[in-house]
Amino acid sequence: MLKTEKSLDEMTREQLIHYIRETVQPEKGIIPAYLLGNPTVYDVEHEKVFLKTWVFVGHESEVPNAGDFMTRELSGYSIIITRDKEGEIHAFHNMCTHRGMKLCRADKGNKSSFTCPYHGFNFKNTGELIGVPLEKNIYGSTLDRLKMSLHKVKLESYKGLLFGTWNDEAEPLEEFLGDFKWYLDIVVGRAEMEVIGAPQRFVVNSNWKVGSDNFVGDSYHTMVTHGSIAKLGMVPNATYSKRGYQIYTENGHGLNLGTPNPDFAFPEELKDEYKNNLSEGQYEVLANLKNMIGNIFPNLSFLISHTKIKDQLISNTSIRMWRPLGFNKMEVIAWMLVEKNAPQEWKDRSRDSFILTFSPSGIFEQDDTEVFTDITEAASGPMPFHKNLTYNYTMGLHREPVEFIGPGVVFDDKFTEASQRNFYKYWLELMTK
Amino acid sequence: MNLEQILVKYEFEQWLNKEAEYLDNIEFDDWFALMHSSLRYQMPVRVNKEGTERPDYSTDMFTFNDDIELLKLRLERLKTDYAWAEIPPSRTRRFVSNVMVREYAEGEKAVVKSYLLIYRSRSTDIHHDLISGERNDEFTFEDGKWKLSKRVFIVDQTTINTRNLAIFV
Repeated sequence: MLKTEKSLDEMTREQLIHYIRETVQPEKGIIPAYLLGNPTVYDVEHEKVFLKTWVFVGHESEVPNAGDFMTRELSGYSIIITRDKEGEIHAFHNMCTHRGMKLCRADKGNKSSFTCPYHGFNFKNTGELIGVPLEKNIYGSTLDRLKMSLHKVKLESYKGLLFGTWNDEAEPLEEFLGDFKWYLDIVVGRAEMEVIGAPQRFVVNSNWKVGSDNFVGDSYHTMVTHGSIAKLGMVPNATYSKRGYQIYTENGHGLNLGTPNPDFAFPEELKDEYKNNLSEGQYEVLANLKNMIGNIFPNLSFLISHTKIKDQLISNTSIRMWRPLGFNKMEVIAWMLVEKNAPQEWKDRSRDSFILTFSPSGIFEQDDTEVFTDITEAASGPMPFHKNLTYNYTMGLHREPVEFIGPGVVFDDKFTEASQRNFYKYWLELMTK
Repeated sequence: MNLEQILVKYEFEQWLNKEAEYLDNIEFDDWFALMHSSLRYQMPVRVNKEGTERPDYSTDMFTFNDDIELLKLRLERLKTDYAWAEIPPSRTRRFVSNVMVREYAEGEKAVVKSYLLIYRSRSTDIHHDLISGERNDEFTFEDGKWKLSKRVFIVDQTTINTRNLAIFV
């Protein structure tokens, strides 16, 4: 292990990147603890990961009508997402181009223009500056309104999921998602999906990577951390989480696919819609699906959960973002998705199962946050760095991938750390580029 | 306010204080005994709206949306050895104030509004969480006692500043 007398904050940017390159060894299953507990690493991460990749900002169904808007955050900056009268979706930096004030401070609403609270500049929901108080009198005809349009955010949609990026050179979203789309289709493209209500939002004192790591491939913890749900009879047994597949693709994306399931986890009425939207292979996976847990690099996780509540089986689908607020703090934002054409009774039960299991009061959710918090605390400060504390990510290193109906590198069991190694491999690639 | 109204207010203040004591002392079975079988226990997700548009909370997404059966399941879970979120249990202190009796039918039904501030401390963590909001409660009189039949807790934060809601509000 590389020895250094310097602490991370004494290093130059080049020295730090060199140090990261030498000490982070995903292919050997070695991940150093300082990655989770250091503000300098976090600062570099913000620039090299979060300002470079596609980051989730919302779902199209959250702005269904002309004039709808919502404010979101894209890698540290507030943005406004609007739907204009032609139905087209736009995204702008939430910053007046005159003096930089936030134009909008509501979570969502409906209006065709935004007025700056500072000097009253008015912008259309398509970005153009359309009104300046006393313009003729104070600017004459010298103000170039066109140049003062709102700063457009690069935005692309995949099956309703909206991603934004500050990187002008970013590859197209579809390329970034690559083979992972095959699995993502099952989560968000199997039917017309809509977000129910407002997203849940809460703060956890944890590094964001702990959340991504947990969802990208850690079903191993389920037996212990979520041991209570087997005791309560909501899942058949404690090792329920082992059977299935672990899959990863390029760019750090990965998932665990729980299978088989003797019960169909989705509304029976929608079988035709599913078949129309999915390939035969995808439908076969869906029809046998127990659950599905994954992460789109860097910080958008998704989950299809299937449990028994009040003696009735019900699944719920959610997506969640681990929004970094600092090296040791994140906001968790969790959206619930449901099939738009499902019967209302099914939608309601699905919603209530989401609330019971994976909202901030959720009986699965709450135990994870204890773990996330303590891991981050133990990784923080100078000691874990100076003593070269590392985590063991070697599970399944001896195993060979198997053939599968879908793409990617696939293992026929969920208890391996291949997806996490792949997550860190891509993270390292971006950090040391 | 006449004497009768003062006594009614006092009665519900005592009820809510007792409830807070049960929850802060982790006496969940005693707390559960205060609940009516028709219970609806809700905490809507709070949202920021333009101007004064109301309500400024979601009407179809909740942080809690339990009936008596689901509430019982939560309590059963806390008794397993795997309820890590509350091992060791949070130290909580519930401050109940501004109790206002909105409707009252003797021996039948009552609607009571109150403010709630919860201080929460976890284990050795030096940080504390504060959860503040108002409760809109409905009570049903049964077997000579007032039981809680509906609670809607309107939290004051859109982003809740606590790692989870493994505690009750």
